[in-house]
Amino acid sequence: MRGFDYLQPHSLDEAFELAEGRDGALYAAGCTDVLVKIKNGAVAPRALISLRRVPGLSGVAETPDGGVRIGALTTISHLLRDGTIRTRYPVLAAAAGRLGSEQIRNAATVGGNICNASPCADTALPLLVLGARVVLRSSGGVREKPLNEFFAEPGRTHLAVGEILEAVLLPPPVQGATGVFFKKGRVRLDLAVASLAALLVVENGVCRYARLAAGSVAPVPLRLTGAEALLEGESLTGKTAAMAALEAMREVSPITDIRASAWYRMRITGVFVKRAFERLYDSSGSDV
Amino acid sequence: MTEEQKKSGCGSPASTGARPGAGAVCGSTGSAGGLSAAGAAGASSGSAARQEQASVPAVPVTFVLNDSEVTAFAHGGTRLIDILRGPLGQTGTKEGCGEGECGACTVLVDGLAVNSCLFPAKEAAGRSVTTIEGLKPEGTGLSPIQQAFVDCGAVQCGFCTPGMIISATALLDRTPDPTDREIREALTGNLCRCTGYEQIIEAIREAARGMERPGEESG
Repeated sequence: MRGFDYLQPHSLDEAFELAEGRDGALYAAGCTDVLVKIKNGAVAPRALISLRRVPGLSGVAETPDGGVRIGALTTISHLLRDGTIRTRYPVLAAAAGRLGSEQIRNAATVGGNICNASPCADTALPLLVLGARVVLRSSGGVREKPLNEFFAEPGRTHLAVGEILEAVLLPPPVQGATGVFFKKGRVRLDLAVASLAALLVVENGVCRYARLAAGSVAPVPLRLTGAEALLEGESLTGKTAAMAALEAMREVSPITDIRASAWYRMRITGVFVKRAFERLYDSSGSDV
Repeated sequence: MTEEQKKSGCGSPASTGARPGAGAVCGSTGSAGGLSAAGAAGASSGSAARQEQASVPAVPVTFVLNDSEVTAFAHGGTRLIDILRGPLGQTGTKEGCGEGECGACTVLVDGLAVNSCLFPAKEAAGRSVTTIEGLKPEGTGLSPIQQAFVDCGAVQCGFCTPGMIISATALLDRTPDPTDREIREALTGNLCRCTGYEQIIEAIREAARGMERPGEESG
């Protein structure tokens, strides 16, 4: 657990400078994941460059377009207790409440959760269905990317060398949309065996808008675009729900590991999709 | 760092009274964790990391611990629990899993419960840390939560107890009258292998009831 530097820059420029030419350095946020990985020998960085003391990276702020900007260093607890997130993006607050324990949530950050690029990242799924974009900054400038194009493979993002995830941008909430988040773990504190976020607009029994994302069932947190396309414009009946569940099960490519079998992960994804409809039907009061 | 300190591997001036303890260089290269980590990334980067480590002395970290300002020396990989239990001698905080699962190491940092095994010691600088020792000044008895744990038989082997009580303290600070569900939720990150949790939940319920009364009287 020892044998590395822990550097604490006070500005992004200082962070870029520290990272430049320093092989084996990792940017760090809440450290709840990287310290476990170091302990277990999964990574052996020569330095952690902590972004906690860089001002302006934390907090939730409304943007001129009616959306919000979530600083990458915003803790999961902050997200969970933030009034704007709770009222306007409740599906994100719901997922934040299911991430780890109070102790973990008080340290872990949104940026860290995303940049770990774990297929089971709890905040990734609501952010995907909410249409999040990521703001990436390097010494050369700033660029934006849809979150959907940010994940490369388990543990790897499309961040360039030296680049920092600065913030996550959410567009204004979709009018009339209701969201749900489901997570299946062995115990409450566990990582997800499978998880699902759904955001739907249902008008007069017809699905006008559908966004679905599934966790722990593919190399990256996965948008279920096939199931979404199948739903939009369709009457929400039990049959539609079953078709969407089937399509979702086709779209995922889970693996068998210590937590669960691929078969179980696929099946539970279908169950979650059906359950999302039941839940949304209950809250919207429309006929299913 | 001087040549002498390099040889001894412990780079903290004796005048501070703080031992570098577990967080010092001497603990780094010899630990199994450090060696296996280096091995995973290839021998070259591992040895380079150790060379670089040797070039970076421990730095003083000053923070408020249980209402008193303290300074301890920390390296990059030194965790908050290392300086608490080592140089600062506050052994009430326990290390169980070392991975943020069991919560035995829970302390308050600026009033928020965190796993001190996953908290870099250097991040404590300028902050306020509360451990089980600091819930009540020494010699002034027990906090209402501590007393409730005693009264309700919420302690068996006792290893999880400091972490449980810190988590309960954080809960009641924020939610003075929690539901059972909120109590259970607040203890998600604290494992107990003895009690079956019932007495612990009962103790927190009792403590909340007891702490409510003075407030009602004054209000």
